Amino acid sequence: MRLGPLLAILFAGLRRNLAVTSAVVITAAVCLAMLGAGLLLRAQVRTVDGYLLNQLEVVVDLTDDITPAQRAGLMDALRAEPNVLAVRYESKEQVYERFKHDFRASPEVVAGVSPADLPAALRLQLADPRRGDEIVVGYTGWDGVEAVRDQQALLEPLYRVLNGFSVAAFSLAAVQAVASGALIYTMIRVSAHARRRETSIMRLVGATNATIRAPFVLECGLAGLAGGLVAGGALVAAKVFLVDGHFGHQTTFPLFGWDAVWLSAATVVAIGALAAAAMAVLALRRHLHA
Amino acid sequence: MIRLDAVTMRYQAGSRPALRDVSLRIGEGEFVFLVGPSGSGKSTLLRLLLREERATSGLVTIDGVDLAAIPDRRVPLLRRTVGCVFQDFRLLPDRTVAGNVAFALDVIGRPRHVVRSVVPEVLALVGLAGKEKRYPDELSGGEQQRVAIARAFVGRPRVLLADEPTGNLDPATSEGIMQLLDAVNRTGTTVIMATHNAGLVDSRRRRVVELADGVVVRDERRGGYAQPQATDGPAPASQAAPGSVLTSREGG
Ligand SMILES: Nc1ncnc2c1ncn2[C@@H]1O[C@H](COP(=O)(O)OP(=O)(O)O)[C@@H](O)[C@H]1O
Ligand SMILES: [Mg+2]
Repeated sequence: MRLGPLLAILFAGLRRNLAVTSAVVITAAVCLAMLGAGLLLRAQVRTVDGYLLNQLEVVVDLTDDITPAQRAGLMDALRAEPNVLAVRYESKEQVYERFKHDFRASPEVVAGVSPADLPAALRLQLADPRRGDEIVVGYTGWDGVEAVRDQQALLEPLYRVLNGFSVAAFSLAAVQAVASGALIYTMIRVSAHARRRETSIMRLVGATNATIRAPFVLECGLAGLAGGLVAGGALVAAKVFLVDGHFGHQTTFPLFGWDAVWLSAATVVAIGALAAAAMAVLALRRHLHA
Repeated sequence: MIRLDAVTMRYQAGSRPALRDVSLRIGEGEFVFLVGPSGSGKSTLLRLLLREERATSGLVTIDGVDLAAIPDRRVPLLRRTVGCVFQDFRLLPDRTVAGNVAFALDVIGRPRHVVRSVVPEVLALVGLAGKEKRYPDELSGGEQQRVAIARAFVGRPRVLLADEPTGNLDPATSEGIMQLLDAVNRTGTTVIMATHNAGLVDSRRRRVVELADGVVVRDERRGGYAQPQATDGPAPASQAAPGSVLTSREGG
């Protein structure tokens, strides 16, 4: 069918079904906004990963009574580990300097600590910081080793929170997706009923099935697209007002950037339009046949 | 061009057939009245020709093409060569006269310039020139049926099926519709018209096929609405067989 007549049928249908179509747009928007939020939380996890992972080290605290020979043996053994890129020794003085720098915001903490209170340490740079726990398990209890600390472990709670939120967002999106699907199914049923005279005439005069279905599929696809655009707008607004305007001032922690926002928004718009159209095709099988 | 060979049609397995062992040949450009009491199978026969239904057994062919063998996705192409009008007109109330006719061309993808030139021509042919912008509810019944005929004819089908097209119209208006169908037939289009309108059939003396309980009980070259009383018309002996026919026949 030519575009003109197709659009005429499409707009007549949209006008007739305005209430149901709006409901589809709204549920789809909520669903897709949840999906987009989940995607952004995942992007945040990746951002944290990318920023921090190469700064994360495994620290081997040494006992005060370690002998130079023990220390040399320990360093040789660590350098032989395939996952260890570099081993650096820090004396008590150097550890104290680092400690002063890390806690420069809390002088009262620094005041109570002297270099003698802190253990000398070996700092390990790992090829794969996620597998720091192998070093922890392998070297804890060696002679001269007081403790092995994996800094990656410090981030576990953060990852748990981010992952928890993204799972929650995806679950809400899934629930909303079911609601949107049911609504589209109803919309097709109502719409097919309202247009039964029109479709029966189309069939009678020899319109193809694709032509008869096109206005229904387009109508749903447009509703999904509109929902996707609303959701995409919500993601952009969240970035501007919530992330940049709020968290950005409160933390020096790395936050996801605009590329993540655009990718999530585009994903959400595409999924909205395509999923709604696919649902329409499915519902038409049930509600439009003679 | 149209052939039915031993066609039996049952809507539900085991039910009484709506058509039973019907054999019929209709030539190119013919005009055929299909008569018989309600429930005798007239609409069923037309539905078979539109491939809205498939025969339970037997063969229905148009130009040698077995309709039952046409895959569903090719049925639209058949419908473009077989137009159809009904007793209830089936117009779209929210489209004008011209819009209703154009709709039939639009939905089969005809180009705009074709639609623009052909629609006014057809509306003039059916006597609706000047009423292109009216809506169906602003037209009389006869005028609405003219729109329906224009819509069925605008794609130049080879066959026009009319299922009781004058069933809702008064005698004078019916005569007008009948003349229009005559005109369509004169363009070379084969017309099959199911009707209860005895006056129209008797005034034309065209070919009449009579159905009773799904069986062809009469096929007359120049027939009237009712079966001749004493001397038989040239009904094929093979189709006059079933005994139930005489009892269920409507009087005339
Ligand atoms: N869709 C249908 N389902 C079941 N039976 C039908 C259907 N359409 C028609 N019939 C039956 O088939 C027979 C013939 O009907 P029809 O072809 O409509 O007759 P006519 O048009 O001559 O009045 C009738 O007994 C009718 O009840
Ligand atoms: Mg009928």
